[in-house]
Amino acid sequence: MRRRDFLKLLTVSTTGAVLFTGCKLGGYDDREFQKQSPVEHPADLPFGRDNWYATAFPAVGGGIGTIVRVFEGRAKKVEGNPDFPLNMGKTGPRAQAIVQEVYHPDRIDGPMRRNGNSFERISWSDATAEVAQLVQNASNPLLVTEPISGAIARIAGEFAEESGAQHLVYEPDEFVVLREAMRRVFGTDRFPALDLPNAGAVVSFGADFLHNWISPVQFSVGYGEFRQGGNGSRGSYFHVGPRLSDSAASADRWYPNTPGTEGMIALSVAYTMVEEGMATEERAEEVFGGISLDDYVPEDIADQTGLTADQIRDIARELGRNAPSIAIAGGSAAAHTNGLFNLAAVFALNYLTESVNTEGGLLLNPGSPDPDVIPNRIGGASYQEWDQIIEEMLAGDIDLLMVHKANPAFGLPEASRFHDGLDQVSTVVSFSSFMDETTRHADLILPDNTTLEQWGLDLPDPAPGFQLISVQQPVVEPFVSSRNFGDSLIRIANEAGLSYSWSSVQDAVRSLGGALAEVGRGLPDDNDDPREFFLAMQTQGGWWDEESRMEEAPSGPEDMPSPSEAQFSGDESEYDFYFLPFPTNSWEYGETANLPWLQGLPDPITTAVWTTWVELNMDTAEEMGVQLGDMVRIESPSGSIEVPVYVNPAAPPNVAAVPIGQGHTEYTHYAEDRGANPIEIVAAQTDGETGALAWAATRVRLEPTGERIRFPRFERQLPFQLEDNPVVQVTRDA
Amino acid sequence: MSARWGMVIDLDRCTGCQACVVACQAENNIPINTEDIFHQRRAIEWIRVERYWEGEYPNVKARYIPIPCMHCAQAPCESVCPVYATYQTTQGINMQIYNRCIGTRYCAVNCPWHVRFFNYWEPKWPESLKHQLNPHVSVRSRGVMEKCTFCVQRIVRTEQEAQVEGREVEDGEFTTACAQACPTDAIVFGDLDDPDSRVAQMASDTDRGYQLLSGLGTDPAVLYLKKIDPDATDEIDGIGPDGTRD
Repeated sequence: MRRRDFLKLLTVSTTGAVLFTGCKLGGYDDREFQKQSPVEHPADLPFGRDNWYATAFPAVGGGIGTIVRVFEGRAKKVEGNPDFPLNMGKTGPRAQAIVQEVYHPDRIDGPMRRNGNSFERISWSDATAEVAQLVQNASNPLLVTEPISGAIARIAGEFAEESGAQHLVYEPDEFVVLREAMRRVFGTDRFPALDLPNAGAVVSFGADFLHNWISPVQFSVGYGEFRQGGNGSRGSYFHVGPRLSDSAASADRWYPNTPGTEGMIALSVAYTMVEEGMATEERAEEVFGGISLDDYVPEDIADQTGLTADQIRDIARELGRNAPSIAIAGGSAAAHTNGLFNLAAVFALNYLTESVNTEGGLLLNPGSPDPDVIPNRIGGASYQEWDQIIEEMLAGDIDLLMVHKANPAFGLPEASRFHDGLDQVSTVVSFSSFMDETTRHADLILPDNTTLEQWGLDLPDPAPGFQLISVQQPVVEPFVSSRNFGDSLIRIANEAGLSYSWSSVQDAVRSLGGALAEVGRGLPDDNDDPREFFLAMQTQGGWWDEESRMEEAPSGPEDMPSPSEAQFSGDESEYDFYFLPFPTNSWEYGETANLPWLQGLPDPITTAVWTTWVELNMDTAEEMGVQLGDMVRIESPSGSIEVPVYVNPAAPPNVAAVPIGQGHTEYTHYAEDRGANPIEIVAAQTDGETGALAWAATRVRLEPTGERIRFPRFERQLPFQLEDNPVVQVTRDA
Repeated sequence: MSARWGMVIDLDRCTGCQACVVACQAENNIPINTEDIFHQRRAIEWIRVERYWEGEYPNVKARYIPIPCMHCAQAPCESVCPVYATYQTTQGINMQIYNRCIGTRYCAVNCPWHVRFFNYWEPKWPESLKHQLNPHVSVRSRGVMEKCTFCVQRIVRTEQEAQVEGREVEDGEFTTACAQACPTDAIVFGDLDDPDSRVAQMASDTDRGYQLLSGLGTDPAVLYLKKIDPDATDEIDGIGPDGTRD
């Protein structure tokens, strides 16, 4: 209905209300009103057709399969791929926001060369030729990437081999510890899947597995079934951790523990299982080897852990009596000087409940059908390895640094001296799509395509318990003058006279796809014609074989780490708070802080947006005389940051929790100069066995600065927020 | 097709991940909520996830609840609109006609759930981000109210396709953006009048179902399934706006 018609209608009768409410909208077809805009005007008619393309997001949430709505050559909306076994049609907030990467106003729009403190546009041919020259002349080049697998791992691997470059992978250190724990406990370096729909109970030690731990979308899909699935019983979930994380809020019980005691609690749980007949002594001996569980009687160690003996026993009964059950550990539990012990002790509990590689338990992933042809995901280097590289950088031994989708200048603490090292590298080449802290040091930038513009063939880690490979295809043309990172490497290599197996990333993807056809099993199963096979793979989003599972699980840990206590930097008398950085639902470790939808997405617990904060216990805040929005200086032995206070009713009294992800000095105008980066003030402590950064092993003290800011948050946003009425109804009956 | 669209939200499945919030923003051309907008308390989220605290440390719980428009059968927002910009469709959707709205904001004041949002300023996107906008959803201009439409553009498109093919719309053939994204399947959308639909079965097959602030008698088309907490010290059966238990 046009506005004129509407006004006419009102003039005809002074009882317009009657016309509308009583006479079927005055004779107008009700359906006409359903249009969001009047369709009579030609300008309001959208011309064009929707196309839906299956692709994959290897770097988002562990790697999920998606379908993308494309209208007139523009990506509009991301949905989960219902065929893809990992996420079964579902997504998460970060996947939903990925379309903003493509059309981001601050995206680097073409190859650049440094000119003083700024950059100037150059042609792709010049950029490629210059980097090729640098590669030819470099005596010790270094290639740094995010964790990669499949086609891009082959391309980067071949490039490194041909050019003589070292290849180093950068990823948050908690995953370095997790990979090592998987090796030591289960004999595999691939992350585990969780058979949540069939599990009786889950106990998570610090792993925020529904929001940002290794594969949150996959686990959330399982969690829905775990709680209210068709098997008739509701699984129970306990969470142990020093912060009520986004996942912990969904737990039936949350037990706040003293940071770094997760391994000790796990051993005490094991002791209880044996004592109460839920596991045999022989089995415990097999699993925990030389560790004397008698040293971990709940009543004896409870004080140290911050839990009560009853709580420890409850955890044991939860896991033991509801088996198959799942015990997982991650997040800050991995980020201590005894991180590997914490994780290994918790994961080993799955052996006691006979829940390893069984229905309803923790599933081990078999990895690639042929790792030589399609490599598994390459994990990250530890902080100690980075330290050695930084020493080399400081000594001027690395003359060419090439970096792709890794931002160590933001992710490594000040104490690492990475920035100083970067200054000593003769030439830095970045392949980033956005100006980040590492790219700011670059001499040349060859911007990569974004996720929706790329070819790829990857192995998600974790897979869902069987072999699975995702196929990524460009759903839109590059919006700016960017080029696939892999294509850039191939062209650089060609220009430098190095040999290469493929002419492009697409060529590599098709070639590896052909190798899958030769495997002769799995889906798609039409492998007579390679072209048809690849087309079927593209259409369904990848290749998988539900029968190809890990055949046999080990009977116990191969090499159980010895128990050790967490050590903290900073004396307790001087630094009275445990410092607890944590990755967030919106920005993870800072990778997605450039996307405005995610900046403006309220943190699930605090509802904070666009900022960093420190969570303080209500009594602690009162003692300090601070309240919401008051600025405090957080001082560690390694530095200080200033952040506003959020008084959190769930914060333990001696823990200062600060989200990771903000505090960028670069990374688009949406993220720049916003909040603070807690990793900056983390002491350079490492896990004793893996050398990974123990980013939760720092003590801090807090001092109000006397300043106050308006705290940006969604809570209290509405004039009569429902906060005062408990609208969430609760029942005890499952 | 005579459907009565409705939604069931299972609070025992919801993990507060907010995939629904971003999915809705992407589908419905909701402007970017900048920091300033939050300070002005004018953030627009057609579906939001609220978090409620219960208890005291260490026995403290945080509870999540997604809140879209309730699409009330007896909607208090409709009767106060002086220009009939807000009305009920025959399919039970509480609709907003943007080019009729004159911005009195009476509807927002009268909505007990505060799920109506006013455009105080012309919505702005950087030029490049406009390429993402959904061409099938109007961008609302300054001075008008906007709200959840149950993704009416998806309903219309599916109904048109079914009509062309000479068949009825099937249950699950389409869903709202929030329900489609929800990784735990906490949000289910469909025809409440179709006894075979998943949403109708969920609404009738459980004793966990409740309507938000049911004491108001607005008869929402969004039903919630209670959160299960085996340790709950006091089962909370809902408190009406006047502070009394239902």
